[in-house]
Amino acid sequence: MTQQTQGIDFATLSLRDALDLAVLIEEEARDRYEELAAQLVLHRTPAAAHFFTKMMRVEEIHRKELAEQRARLFGTQPSTVRREQLFDVEAPDYDAVRMNMSHRAALLTALKSEVKAHHFFTEALRHVGSVEVRALFEELCDEEIEHQKLVKAELDKLPPPTRDEEDDFSDDEPVAQ
Amino acid sequence: MTAPEPFQAKDYKSDLKPIWCPGCGDFGVLQGLYRALAAIGRPPHEVAFISGIGCSSRIPGYTTAYGFNSVHGRSLPIAQGVKLANPELLVVVAGGDGDGFSIGGGHVAHAVRRNLNITYLVMDNQVYGLTKGQLSPTSPKGLQTVTSPLGSLEEPVNPLLFLLAYGAGFVAQGTPADMPGLASLIEEAIRYPGFSFVNIQSPCVTFGEDDQQLKVHKAKMKSLASLKHDPADQLRAMDLARAYGTELYTGVFYRNPNPPLPYEELIKIRQAEESKKARPRHNIIDAYLQK
Amino acid sequence: MTHAQLGLACCSAAPHIMVDDLILGMAGAGGDGVVSAGESLLSAASSEGYHAMMTKSFGSQIRGGESSCRVRLSTKKVLNPGGALDVMVALNWEDFFKFGAELPLSVDTVLIHEEKVGPPPETLAARGVVPREVLSVPISELTKKSAGSDKAKTSVVLGLLSGWFGIARDGIARGLKKKFGNKGEGLLEANEKALAAGIEYAQAHPLAQARTIAPPNGTPGSKLLCDGNDMTAAAALFAGVQFFGGYPITPSTEIMQTLTREIWKYGGTVLQCEDEIAGIGASVGASFAGKKSMTATSGPGMDLKAEILGLATIAELPLVLVDVQRGGPSTGLPTKPEQSDLFAAAFSGHGDVLRPVLAPTDVEDSFRITVEAFNIAEHYQTPVIILSDQEIAQRKEAVDRIDTTKFEILERLKPSAKELESYSRFKLTESGISPISHPGMKGGNYLGAGIEHNEKGDPTSGGVMHAKMNQKRFKKLDPLKQRADLFELHGNPTAPFAFVAWGSTAGVCREAYALAKKAGLDVKLLVPYLLWPIAEQVYGDFFASVRHGLVVELSHQGQLYRMLRMQLDVPRGVRSLARSGANPFQPAELVTRLEGLKEMPQ
Repeated sequence: MTQQTQGIDFATLSLRDALDLAVLIEEEARDRYEELAAQLVLHRTPAAAHFFTKMMRVEEIHRKELAEQRARLFGTQPSTVRREQLFDVEAPDYDAVRMNMSHRAALLTALKSEVKAHHFFTEALRHVGSVEVRALFEELCDEEIEHQKLVKAELDKLPPPTRDEEDDFSDDEPVAQ
Repeated sequence: MTAPEPFQAKDYKSDLKPIWCPGCGDFGVLQGLYRALAAIGRPPHEVAFISGIGCSSRIPGYTTAYGFNSVHGRSLPIAQGVKLANPELLVVVAGGDGDGFSIGGGHVAHAVRRNLNITYLVMDNQVYGLTKGQLSPTSPKGLQTVTSPLGSLEEPVNPLLFLLAYGAGFVAQGTPADMPGLASLIEEAIRYPGFSFVNIQSPCVTFGEDDQQLKVHKAKMKSLASLKHDPADQLRAMDLARAYGTELYTGVFYRNPNPPLPYEELIKIRQAEESKKARPRHNIIDAYLQK
Repeated sequence: MTHAQLGLACCSAAPHIMVDDLILGMAGAGGDGVVSAGESLLSAASSEGYHAMMTKSFGSQIRGGESSCRVRLSTKKVLNPGGALDVMVALNWEDFFKFGAELPLSVDTVLIHEEKVGPPPETLAARGVVPREVLSVPISELTKKSAGSDKAKTSVVLGLLSGWFGIARDGIARGLKKKFGNKGEGLLEANEKALAAGIEYAQAHPLAQARTIAPPNGTPGSKLLCDGNDMTAAAALFAGVQFFGGYPITPSTEIMQTLTREIWKYGGTVLQCEDEIAGIGASVGASFAGKKSMTATSGPGMDLKAEILGLATIAELPLVLVDVQRGGPSTGLPTKPEQSDLFAAAFSGHGDVLRPVLAPTDVEDSFRITVEAFNIAEHYQTPVIILSDQEIAQRKEAVDRIDTTKFEILERLKPSAKELESYSRFKLTESGISPISHPGMKGGNYLGAGIEHNEKGDPTSGGVMHAKMNQKRFKKLDPLKQRADLFELHGNPTAPFAFVAWGSTAGVCREAYALAKKAGLDVKLLVPYLLWPIAEQVYGDFFASVRHGLVVELSHQGQLYRMLRMQLDVPRGVRSLARSGANPFQPAELVTRLEGLKEMPQ
């Protein structure tokens, strides 16, 4: 867990900061999905790009909800948690995408990210001191499980995988310059 | 000087869409760079970002800074010209391992010994990506590529050891597998008052080896701080740098604790001294009058 | 004046000729000081107001090889180093003969040689030339007797020349004071004694036919004395050069050496780079950063710089590159002149490129051409090549002071505040020239690149945009071809005979033209300073009346001639007169060749 956040002490984390952290985690995921979708759009991988764009919107909805909660409780009090303190919490890894990746691969990527996020909050809960923060993180943990279920349901709707589905090369070779 | 305006990472992001393959390590480097530039806070028009040719050399175009995507291997000489012409600019140089250590290899030692206050970022992926997977100067010995189908016979260049041996005042290594760490390394390199070098292990998803991908980096990387390495210890830095290719150390190998005045500052002193002897423009020619 | 009096003093024995032009040659082993003696002579003569020119020639050894110089003194502007020598001083025969045609003798030559090396060997007779007078002088002995050592040999030589030919005795004495004054009383005294001994010897042994040079027309202290490389450097400073990146290479290095002494005074920087590529690279970088920038090299460096020249073309960055030509290909003849880099200057590098090429013809116009090169580079945002050559670059000339107030200095077109609101670096304009920003200019941010780009500067691989940009880069240089002031024309516009010559060869042709006219030939001369692009109109008009013409070039191929044939219909009667470098043309031979064309079938 040390690799995902820097300089955050969960034992003393306040609810306000925990909310800010949660907002930033969703923000990072949103931005990452947006970035990855853009890469895939440019490299003619529309199905996965479309799915990542959808995920980007989902993460934005979550972020907004959490941000509103934070505003309700703490108004415009300045935040002490910075985006630089976290990395790859709920955001899919930078190398999670490939040209020509299938819709299934995109779903699996998202699933992996939800699992990763769930793992993060489970780990954090072991250190959390405040009762309110515990309650928040438990709620977030449950949400990640919900998201996982949704993605899995999407996966189940897909036809069975074909053999060459995961090949990230098309018939054309990569272009030399 | 007015108070510096606060810049955010997005202020350095251009509208141009990167052509890199999805999943390329350079995407993370780019994000790290935006962050580092925002932390430094110089307005984009005061940043000159120079590169050569290669996948990674496309990077200046993805920033809002002044960029110069020049020719293969010549980013360092061009960047030095830029910095000497206008020392107030923040000059960043970027390129790949082929650009920096093969075709442009001859320039590195001289950029180091001149010690201009510029930052050199090498995105080292141990392969030629833009030309489709040939052997690069940092490819491990024995690597099979389209130009070494039977395995390469030469040892790889060790960029860290080269730079340390040339006498660079700031030598670091990072990976986009730890993007925030990389961002702060780039920031620190830029803040170092002299020639600074960051070797960035930035995997090629299309032609790179499996054991050089980000997920492997994540598992393998070890911060020099965790080894209690003192960046002022040049000899220890060289010792640690020998592990290039086997270990993935991240952080600052060496930072000169007493950085000398950079080249462009020495030149300013010289110019100030000599300017007293300047002739009016129309009398410059009179230096040749025979009396 | 002293020399006039001297002339009279020499007149007692034989009829005295007063000449207004005197060509001297000296040859010896490196270390004999013949070049240094030539320089003293030059400096003394120019300080008294003579026009003068000196060329040096060396073997390629670093030290101890053969060395020689030619000094031409005149009361009028010196056009070229001249043909056969009036006076030749040989310190030994072996070194003298190594220079062959570079030190030609005639029946009018007074040949002076060191007594101890013996009379002229058979080799001289074998050349079929009998000098008017051969004077065997115990130079070493005179030196030892007067100065007490062998070191002041050149001062004896200067004394001899001054004594016999009336050259600038006061100036020489002043020169010795300047040269040795701060090196200890003894050395100066020794040289002064050696000089006096030389003069005394000359007076005691008058020439069979006394010959002295007429007093100068110019006032003392009115002449500039420098070589082409120095002049180029001074002009660059005048034009506002702020950056020079380069790598040492003969015979261009003195440009870097002069600039690196001077440029700091004017806020600029010289960077001695690790190689030729870095030299032009750093210069292009400085230009990108908004500064007037320059590099210099010779043939082998031109080869290495080709790629970045292309970069400067496509990125539309101003740059001045001086190629001081020497014999090629490859290492070729590093210390000798040749005009064989014209193709390289115009064509080297891949892709469709139009790159202006200018050539000075002597030390004096190296100034004007360098300022012009900066103006063209900055105005049109393009690299410009100055094709100098070893002779112009390394020969010293005493010329009239240049009035620099008549020169205009151009700067690159900056974007307006309005244009910076939505800036397009490579905007397709009527003229093809787009306003250029530089790092540090807010709102001007763009991506410079070697890759093809759209108007904004963003990379593109589209054929349509590529065609538009190529067209822009060519079109913007069209007005250059209308620059009649970049051509020098002499003679009757309808003359049937003609010379065309560029670079150092132009100086020989100017004299050949005058000779031919004197001989009654209806002749004209065209000297292009702009070599590329070819100004078809200028040449077309010039050739219209020509039935017999020579394009004179010091190269095996005759590269300008071939480029003219490529670009326009050159009349059949216009021929190429081309020969390899280090074989200088003589004015008289050019007249003979031109007249000879009459016999040639059309």
